[in-house]
Amino acid sequence: MQLGDARKGKLAHNLIGFGRALRRAGMPVDASRIALAQQSCALVGFDQRQDLKAALEAVFVSRHTDRTVFSELFDAFFRNPEIAKQLMAQLMPQTKAATEPKRSPRAQEALAAPPPISKPSKSVPPKEEEIKLDAAMSASAQHRLRHADFDQLSASEFRLVERLAREIPLPLPQFKARRSVQSARGDRIHWGRLLNEAGRFDGEVLSLPKQRRRLQPLPLLILVDVSGSMERYARLMLAFLHHATRHLKRSVYAFGTQLTPLTSAFNEDDTDKMLLQTNSVIEDFGGGTQIGESIATFHHDFRHEMVGRRTLVLLISDGLDTGDLTQLDQHLNWLAKQSSQLVWLNPLLRYDGYAPLAGGARLIAKHADQTLAIHNLDSLEKLARSLARVTSKQIHEPFNS
Amino acid sequence: MNISIDQLVQSFESVGYFPDRRLATAVYLAQALNRPLLLEGEPGVGKTELAKVLAQITNRSLIRLQCYDGLEQREALYEWNYAAQLIHMRAAQTERNAEQIEQEVYQSKYLIRRPLLRALETPAPGAVLLIDEIDRADEPFEAFLLEYLGEYQVSIPELGTIRAQHQPITILTSNRTRDLSDAIKRRCLYHWVDYPERVRELAIVQHRVPDLSARLSDQVTQFIERLRLQPTANAFSRSPGIAESIEWAKALVALNTLELDPEIVQSTAGVIFKQRDDVAALEPLIEELLAPADKT
Repeated sequence: MQLGDARKGKLAHNLIGFGRALRRAGMPVDASRIALAQQSCALVGFDQRQDLKAALEAVFVSRHTDRTVFSELFDAFFRNPEIAKQLMAQLMPQTKAATEPKRSPRAQEALAAPPPISKPSKSVPPKEEEIKLDAAMSASAQHRLRHADFDQLSASEFRLVERLAREIPLPLPQFKARRSVQSARGDRIHWGRLLNEAGRFDGEVLSLPKQRRRLQPLPLLILVDVSGSMERYARLMLAFLHHATRHLKRSVYAFGTQLTPLTSAFNEDDTDKMLLQTNSVIEDFGGGTQIGESIATFHHDFRHEMVGRRTLVLLISDGLDTGDLTQLDQHLNWLAKQSSQLVWLNPLLRYDGYAPLAGGARLIAKHADQTLAIHNLDSLEKLARSLARVTSKQIHEPFNS
Repeated sequence: MNISIDQLVQSFESVGYFPDRRLATAVYLAQALNRPLLLEGEPGVGKTELAKVLAQITNRSLIRLQCYDGLEQREALYEWNYAAQLIHMRAAQTERNAEQIEQEVYQSKYLIRRPLLRALETPAPGAVLLIDEIDRADEPFEAFLLEYLGEYQVSIPELGTIRAQHQPITILTSNRTRDLSDAIKRRCLYHWVDYPERVRELAIVQHRVPDLSARLSDQVTQFIERLRLQPTANAFSRSPGIAESIEWAKALVALNTLELDPEIVQSTAGVIFKQRDDVAALEPLIEELLAPADKT
């Protein structure tokens, strides 16, 4: 870079600012990337905006899901020279509502984050707004939110909790697949390996390489209740499960008064997009509940989802059912028998003395292998732990026998 | 080496590959900055083809490493030819002492070179190394690649370090059956290969299937484009890629088709879709998809 060249000096600053915005949007941008971006800019030149954009995209983006955010932020940064002003405007509550909804939530958050220290903000935003704009949280706030019931959160807190829930890892139990891997303590001899080893030691067999069957996570079926009483929990659980099981094979269905397949919505990479799509697909969001009917539909139309009695079924519901109980009993029985584990995730467990007395709840409790609470972040973490533990104990028995 | 993006686009087109400008920019940067290029995208959008064509226009040889679950160093990098070594050992046992034998056994003629090593040893102008479907290999293999991609050198304990004479242009492709680690992404430039827009697809189909009439190729690309733009509600489990368009065009030529009509679409639906559900879902849409262009 030439000394004293004012335009190039600006570019370096702008790129750093841009890189930081991308980082706020959750993209892994480090200093070496920014340096690489500068090199690319010099190579590609500034004559064509599209080329510059493509070059920066090749350098900064490394995930398909980040492309939209990148594109929006690029446009925001490199079209409008008044970006600093705009950033300030984002902070003012009154200008916010009208012009917003064009960008995706992630790009929005990145732009809405506090401006760099060199530009101190003039107005102190009101309290409720503060949480909406600033994604960072104090330790005590985190602690409070961990134990707060999902149903009692304000809209902005709910959004935060939803983000936090996505970070909880969910280790799923595994089963022995057909394919084998080399292993120190396997039950069969790895012949190919044995011959190779012998070749290395003058034809002498010095060790017995072994192989064992590969472990693979269980297929997962998620049935989520989207009736009125479950609305908030359902949304949060969908976000949580979408992120936690993103590498796994899973099938997802929502039910209220009818059954809606959500698997294709779950194939979206971005959790926000998934939720949007879910909203548009589910017609009975916030309506009544007919669990029996819904599971009957599942039994009838989607039985192929249950392969080899291996599926782990997560039934997310409060068990407040208005449908036919005999039907529910019959189909739950089928579901329990076809699955390796039927786990009931029940938000009503937040009440200390809760007992499943309602008709539907009683039946689910009868057929479920275990019941777990899901009403706050703390219980979600417990859920993650106990799923890995309990199931690994119970599953290995039928498969080894 | 010092060619512009425009020239790159031209030389791609001269061999029948029609990249969009974004892709050309990414390839240009990969070459200029000496970085591996990671291509992601739906199946059948021409990721692998890009590497082949790149080898062709740069006059480099293409070395391909197809990844699969359980791929290991000895299949990717090098392996000793144990059997030959064993024979050598037995034959030499009576005449030579252990030291001599050891020296002879670890010669490079007993080294079986796998793709990564071959890519390093390729003389000028170097190679185009295609690491295909990296997402199918497991994470340990990805970690093994890190050093290779960073330094372009490997150490073979018995022979020493082998460094690239001419750094290969490395193209990695992934179908996103799983997320790659950030470490590997950090070392690569990234490009998402999209379905081509109508004009570009038309050019591709016409180039690949020259026997197809202009009218029909127009209809084919329009049909496929509309298929891909179907709203999510009745989306198919897998949208047809460019490969499918070309296959379909070839099928239509083989059937001496003059014009698309519902009947011919139905009878050739198996070329576009490989899922029973998708073929069934296509049926009620055919009329709408075949409607003349001026309506949209």
